[in-house]
Amino acid sequence: MEQEKARTRLFIWLWTAFVVVLLYLPIACGALASLSKGRYFAFPIRAFTSEWWEKTLDSIEIGMIVQTSLLVAALVTVISVVVAFFGALAFARYDWKGRRLFQKIVILPIFFPQPVLGLALLLWFSAVGIQTSWLTAVFAHLVWIVPVVTLVIAIQVYSFDPSLEEAAFDLGATRWQVMREVTLPILWPGIWSGALFAFLLSWGNFPLSLYTAGADSTVPKWLYSKMVAGYTPMVPALGTMSTLGAASALLLGGLVLWLLRRRAAA
Amino acid sequence: MTQEAAPKLPILQLVGVRKTFNDFVAVEKIDLDVIEGEFLTIVGPSGSGKTTLLRMLAGMDQPSEGNITLHGERINEVPPNKRPTCLVFQSLALFPHKSVGDNIEFPLKVRGVDAKTRKARALELMRVVRLPESYHSKNVMKCSGGERQRVALARALAYDPEVLFFDEPLSAIDYKLKKVLEKELKDLHKETGKTFIYITHSLEEAMVMSDRIGVMRAGRLVQVGTPEQIYNHPVDRFVSEFVGEVNVIEVKKGEEGAPWRGIDVPGAFHVRPPEEDAEADHAFVVIRPEYLRFLGAGDTAQNSLKGMVYNEYSLGSRIQYQVRVGEKVMLVELSRSKALPIAADRSVTVGWDAADAITVRA
Ligand SMILES: Nc1ncnc2c1ncn2[C@@H]1O[C@H](COP(=O)(O)OP(=O)(O)OP(=O)(O)O)[C@@H](O)[C@H]1O
Ligand SMILES: [Mg+2]
Repeated sequence: MEQEKARTRLFIWLWTAFVVVLLYLPIACGALASLSKGRYFAFPIRAFTSEWWEKTLDSIEIGMIVQTSLLVAALVTVISVVVAFFGALAFARYDWKGRRLFQKIVILPIFFPQPVLGLALLLWFSAVGIQTSWLTAVFAHLVWIVPVVTLVIAIQVYSFDPSLEEAAFDLGATRWQVMREVTLPILWPGIWSGALFAFLLSWGNFPLSLYTAGADSTVPKWLYSKMVAGYTPMVPALGTMSTLGAASALLLGGLVLWLLRRRAAA
Repeated sequence: MTQEAAPKLPILQLVGVRKTFNDFVAVEKIDLDVIEGEFLTIVGPSGSGKTTLLRMLAGMDQPSEGNITLHGERINEVPPNKRPTCLVFQSLALFPHKSVGDNIEFPLKVRGVDAKTRKARALELMRVVRLPESYHSKNVMKCSGGERQRVALARALAYDPEVLFFDEPLSAIDYKLKKVLEKELKDLHKETGKTFIYITHSLEEAMVMSDRIGVMRAGRLVQVGTPEQIYNHPVDRFVSEFVGEVNVIEVKKGEEGAPWRGIDVPGAFHVRPPEEDAEADHAFVVIRPEYLRFLGAGDTAQNSLKGMVYNEYSLGSRIQYQVRVGEKVMLVELSRSKALPIAADRSVTVGWDAADAITVRA
């Protein structure tokens, strides 16, 4: 019995280690490649240098690309959270005629293959005569990200007892006071998770940006184009930085969520 | 019954109030005067429209037909936040992200009362509902069921409504605590002098607390009256059965002057004509188990039935017997001290006088 338990535990440990290695080894390789002295992408690495990291940090081009990516992600976050917040209320709370259809239509874009969605949007932009740029990329990201954020917030809305709003209204609050005092504070963790999703999904999105950002480049788009032509270890350097940035955003977001939950439980 | 010192005016009036959801009638043509300061309880089985009625009174739903007036003014479309009424929900609807104090202060906060006054008022109300002062900063979700009940009550009182509605607030609370809270609510009603309208499934609860009771069935308000009226003068079989376990015998009027004939139990019975309709020739005789007795040798009663005891239960100080009479089961309840030894063959004669039974129209 004891022996069997020990064996099970060993197996669980091995499996976990395997999954962790599988998931994180490639990222570690990328980080290593960015520290290689050689110009070309080859293992084993013979000599290490921080040269490429410095070059990456100094590059004006990369600075602009990071700025564009940040701008796109920030705009997408703000717009998608606002749209998804009301969408989630309509999705999960209020009973109205077209609700079921609305639920399906909202979810559908999540399952479109993104390159197809990107191509379709590109064709549509050119048909309507809109010049593609980072602004059109924002729009494209929204088409895919708003549904995701709607779902994330809707989960929180489902666990929200609507009689709380009725009670607040009954106790003399105006519609706006109900929103500010009851609805928003209770949905806050959901909204925050949604924002985190929006930011990270936009930050890392490649296929939609490739088709719809026009001449503007984002971090994933730049990584791809340099991979195709003109590779230097700046590619893995920026890739690693981008991953680290996303990870710290995630950590920060998680910390805020944890604080929100703790305050709610205090 | 004591006479009221001054005649009280209706605070709320319902005239022909009806509520439909699509084709479904949830509340049908209700006329009701709610007297200022009274404790009115609405009872009825699940789905009879009690909550729907209350939501219309609180302003959360609007009647499909009819009028609701408050102090003589029509309020059908006045939203809940503009009515001097407040509803305590079955779920209590306490704000989970606010402390006990912030919950209670909520109606004052949205009205723009300053923090210091708010806190003073909250502490005052917490005393009224018997919550310790230290609970002011406690998380409501960490309060027990009874404490939450009190928070909800204090919050409603902070709104200072003229009429308070309660939608089965005690249904999820264990029996003993329920008794305590019922009593506190009744006391609170006396202290505040406000009008209380209370919904419950349980007539027992209603009997304890109410000045008047309204019985609902399938959207209709079947009877409104004092607990005594409901208990002793139910208008129909439904009300009489709702009040508690009863024996019901269906009867038809016999020839002029002759006794009534039993339909589901063979026999001839002395029956008082139904109060509601003295001319009726088809009625139900309702006899509460405690009004039935076993007839020993030499005992007499106006009505009697022969039967067989097949079960007996102890109800503490009382014993309930189940007696099979033909196809029917009759319940007889005797206090322990009056219980007779049952004969070896378990046969008994059950008797009652016409005055102990209630007759309701069929
Ligand atoms: N929004 C609604 N849409 C459709 N039907 C409704 C709605 N609200 C209530 N009903 C129906 O109206 C009837 C009365 O409901 P109501 O909630 O008033 O009953 P109730 O007496 O409070 O029952 P309970 O004791 O179970 O709370 C029910 O059959 C219910 O299904
Ligand atoms: Mg109800």
